[in-house]
Amino acid sequence: MTPLLEQFLSEARDFLQGIGEKLMQLEKAPADAELMTELFRFVHTLKGNSGLFDFPEMTRVLHAGEDLMDAVRQGRVAYSRELADRLLDAMDFVGMLCDEIEQTGAIGSACAADSARLGAALRQLIGTVVTGTPQAVPSPAAQPIPAALPPLESLPEAARMAAFRLAHAGKPLHWLTYTPDEGCFFSGDDPFFQARQTPGIVWGGVVAREAWPKLLELDAYRCILDFHLLSSASRADLDEYYRYMPEQIVCVTFPALALVQPQGDPNGGPVYEDFVVEALDTLGRGDSGSLAHAARTMLELSNPDLWLSSALRWLLLLIELEPDNRTAQGIVIESLRNLDAIDWNAATSLAPSVEGAPEVIADIGLSPEEQAALAALVATQRAILDMPIETAWQMGRVRAVASTLAGCLRSSRREGEIPGLEAATAAALEDAMAAPLMDWLDHHFGTAPVAETSAATTSTAAEAAPATMLPPEDTKSAGEGEGEVKFGRRAEDAFSGPKSLKVDQAKIDLLMNLIGEIVVAKNALPYLAGRAETVFGVRELSREIKAQYAVINRIAEEMQDAIMQVRMMPVSFVFQRFPRLVRDISRKLGKEVNLVLEGEETEADKNIIESLGDPLVHIVRNSLDHGFELPEVRRAAGKPAEGSLTIRATQESDRVVIEIQDDGKGIDPEVVKRKAYEKGLIDETALERLSNQDAVNLVFVAGFSMAEVVSDLSGRGVGMDVVRTAIEKVNGAIALDSEKGRGTRIRLSLPLSMAVTNVMIIESDGQIFGLPMDSVVETVRVARADIRTIKRSMATVLRGRIVPLKSLNKLLGLATPPIANDQDELAVLVVRLGEESVGLLVDDFRETVDIILKPMTGVLAGLGCYSGSALMGDGSVLMVLNVKELM
Amino acid sequence: MAIEYRKNLALFRDVVLVEEAEPLLEWLQKKPAGRVDLADCTHLHAANLQVLMAARASVKAWPKEPCFADWLRAALLRPH
Repeated sequence: MTPLLEQFLSEARDFLQGIGEKLMQLEKAPADAELMTELFRFVHTLKGNSGLFDFPEMTRVLHAGEDLMDAVRQGRVAYSRELADRLLDAMDFVGMLCDEIEQTGAIGSACAADSARLGAALRQLIGTVVTGTPQAVPSPAAQPIPAALPPLESLPEAARMAAFRLAHAGKPLHWLTYTPDEGCFFSGDDPFFQARQTPGIVWGGVVAREAWPKLLELDAYRCILDFHLLSSASRADLDEYYRYMPEQIVCVTFPALALVQPQGDPNGGPVYEDFVVEALDTLGRGDSGSLAHAARTMLELSNPDLWLSSALRWLLLLIELEPDNRTAQGIVIESLRNLDAIDWNAATSLAPSVEGAPEVIADIGLSPEEQAALAALVATQRAILDMPIETAWQMGRVRAVASTLAGCLRSSRREGEIPGLEAATAAALEDAMAAPLMDWLDHHFGTAPVAETSAATTSTAAEAAPATMLPPEDTKSAGEGEGEVKFGRRAEDAFSGPKSLKVDQAKIDLLMNLIGEIVVAKNALPYLAGRAETVFGVRELSREIKAQYAVINRIAEEMQDAIMQVRMMPVSFVFQRFPRLVRDISRKLGKEVNLVLEGEETEADKNIIESLGDPLVHIVRNSLDHGFELPEVRRAAGKPAEGSLTIRATQESDRVVIEIQDDGKGIDPEVVKRKAYEKGLIDETALERLSNQDAVNLVFVAGFSMAEVVSDLSGRGVGMDVVRTAIEKVNGAIALDSEKGRGTRIRLSLPLSMAVTNVMIIESDGQIFGLPMDSVVETVRVARADIRTIKRSMATVLRGRIVPLKSLNKLLGLATPPIANDQDELAVLVVRLGEESVGLLVDDFRETVDIILKPMTGVLAGLGCYSGSALMGDGSVLMVLNVKELM
Repeated sequence: MAIEYRKNLALFRDVVLVEEAEPLLEWLQKKPAGRVDLADCTHLHAANLQVLMAARASVKAWPKEPCFADWLRAALLRPH
C-alpha cells in the first residue's frame, strides 16, 4: 500500500464521517444552504480523491452522490429523508470499499453490481434519464434464472454445441448483453474490442439497437450497437472484466439444455414419424447403443443442412454427454414429429434437466483438480476429527475444521449448507466431542472411505440427530443475513475503527511531559535504594528496589521511545512545497532550474521538521535569486542552461542533515567583504585579514545583503541571519561552503528530537550544572603550571593548539576560585563555541544524564545564560547552561 | 491510414482506429457499391463496424483470423 493510498483511506474515513454528520444535521435543518454546500464539498472532494486510484466502483457511487448533491444544492431536487437514506447507504458502501481496500489492496469485482445499483438509486432521485435502470442490473444475490431464455436459437449450432460441451465439463454458462453507452466512442472506448476480449467467450454477435438510419444520416460516432455474448467464464471474472461498465451489462445464466435446439431446412415438413416411433421405442428400452447407431445412419443419409440432421446431431450429443437423461433425448426425438422448436421451459421438459442440474450446479466452477483438492481437504478434516478430544482447548480443532469446511462449501458454491454446518459445529462444541460434525461431514460429503466401527457411528448418529434436525429456523435467518447486502452497516453494528488516529498535538505534548515525570520519578529509585542500604541498613530491600528499578527503567525507556516515534514526521512534509515554489520562482526570474529532492522519508521530531520550513524556503529563494544565473549566462560559462538544485536529507546518528546544493555562480568572497564593509559590518582591518571561508560566512551576519536591489524575493538583509537564528533555536547548526562559479552548498544539521537532551553534569562552587553534550568536546585535567596568562585572560596548550580558558565561577559572577584536585590539576571542560573551542574551568566532572529540558519561564526567562532546567531523580533541580550566551 | 481507398475497394490493414470511421462513412456514402477487403485487418473499432453494418457493405475478403472473421460474418451477413 502506497503512502498516498494510506492517506486517501484515512482521509476518506474522515470525509465519510463528516458526510454522515452533515446529513444528520440536515435532517434537523433541511433548508440550511450552508450545510448543504459543505456536504456537497465533502462528497465532491472525496470523489475527486478517489479518482486518483483505480477504484471505478467507488468513484461511480461518489460521482452519482456528487451529482445528486449538486442538484439539491441548486434547488433542482428537494432534500428528503429518502435522499439521506440513500446517500448514507452509498457512504456505508464506500466505507466498506475502504475496508476492503485496506485489507486486500483492491476492490473485489463483486462490488461492481452494488456500485451500479447504488449509483443508479442516487441518480434516480435527480430524475435524470439513467442509462441502465437499476432493475436492469440486479444484484448478483437477487439474480434469478430468468423465465425467458436468451435468444440462443440465433447462435450457430456449432457454437451452441461447443457451449453445451463446456457446460458438461463443469463450466458455467453466461449470456451477456452488453449495451455500450451511446457516447462511449468519445470517451475512448471500443466496445467491439471490449466484447471480443470477454473472458471465456464462446460466441459473440453484434446487432443494431435500432433500425439503421439512411447512410447519409448515419452518425458514425453515436454507438447504437449491442453485443450479445455467450461466455463460459465465471460470474466473478465477468464482473471483474466489465467492472467499469456494470450498468451496461446484463448477465444471465441458463440451463445447458436450453442450448439444445435443432435448426435447419424443414425440407417439406415433418415426415419422420416412422423414425420417431422407432427411436422412442429404442429409447424406452434403454438401448442407447442402438439409438445412437440408428441416429448416425439417418444422419449419414440426410442432407446436413436439414432440420432433421441438426436434431440428430443434438440427439447424438445428448446420448454422448447425458446418456441417462432419457427425457431430454425423448424430447429431441419428439421434436421431429412436427419440427417445432423445443420449448425447454415447459415444466415437463425442464424437469429432467433440473433433476440433472444439481450435479452440474454443485460442481459449478470446479475443475477436476479442484474436486481432487476438495476431496483431499475433506479427508484431512475427517482425520482431524478422528483425533481424540481430551481437553477443552482441543475443541479449537473442531472450530478450525468447521471454518475449513465452511470455506469448502463457499468455494464449491454450496453456501446453502453452511447453516447446517454451523449448527453441527455448535452441537459439537456443546458436547465437547467431534461426533456431530463428523456426522454432518458424512451426510454432506459422503461417508468416509474407510469404514468406521459401527458402534461408534451409531452412537454418534443418535447424538447428532437432534443437532442436524435443529437448524431450519437458524438456516433461514442466517441465510437472509448472508443474502443481505453486506455494506448495510448501521450504527449498532460492530465498528472496525480506522487504523490511524488524528490526535491533537497538545495531547502528545502532555504524554511527553508525563513520561518526563516518570523518568524523573524512576530516577529517584536508585537514591531510595541507596538510602535503604546506608540509612536503614537493609541491604536486601536495596537490592530489590534496584531490581524493580531496572524493570521500570526499561518500560519507561520504551515508552519514551514510543512517544518519540509518534512525534516523528518525514521531512517530505516540508519538502513537498518546493517543487511548486522552485517552479514558480524560477519561471518568474526567467531561470531554468531542475529540483532534485532526496531522502524525503528521513524522519525527525515534528517540532524540528516544522522549524525547518521557513529557513529552507529562505535558503531556496536565496539560491534561486542569487545563486543561479540566467540560462544564457550559464551557457556562456559552459554550464548546462538548466541549473540543478538538490535538497537532500540524511540521517547521521542522532542528527538529521539537510543539504541544499546548487550549481549556480557561488559566492564571491571579495564581493561579500566589500558589501560587508560598505554596510559597516566589518572594519578595514577585517577586510584585509578575513579568509575566504570567513568572508563567505559573513552572509550570516545580521543586516548583510548581497542583492543590489531589494526585490520581493530577497535582498532585505534579513535572510541568512534569520535562517541561522531559526536553526540554532532548535539546537541545529548551519554551515555554508561555496566555490565561485561552481555553486553553493548549505548544510543544516539538526537533532532528531528535542525532547530528551543529553547533558553532562559538572560541579562548580558546590553547585551542579548541566551542559548539553553536543557542545562538549572533551574533559581534561590541566596542571595549574600549564596554564598561562596572556594579558588578563588564561590559556593553555592542548595538543598543539591554544585553548582559551575561562572560569565558570567568574562567568556566573561567583567569587570563589576553581578548586584543584590533589595533584594540583584543574578540571577543564572543553566546549565548542561556533568554530572555536573554549575551556571552562570547573571544580569537578560528574556523569552524563538524559533529561527533559524545560525552558525557563516567567521572570527567569530573561536569564540568557541558562537554556533551561530539569528535575533530577533525587528531586533537585539541574540548571542547564547556555554556553553561547555565557561567553 | 489503416484504410487504403482504391477505386471501388477499401483495403483495411491491421487495427483500424476510431478516427477512420468518418472518412469510411463518407466514402461509402459516395460509393454505395464500394467493397471492403478485410483480409489484413486484425481489429476494427466499433465505430467502423457500425458504419460497415449500416452501409451493408459487401465484403471482398474476410479477415484471416478465424475468430475475428466469425464476428464480422455474424455482424455483416445478418439479414437486415
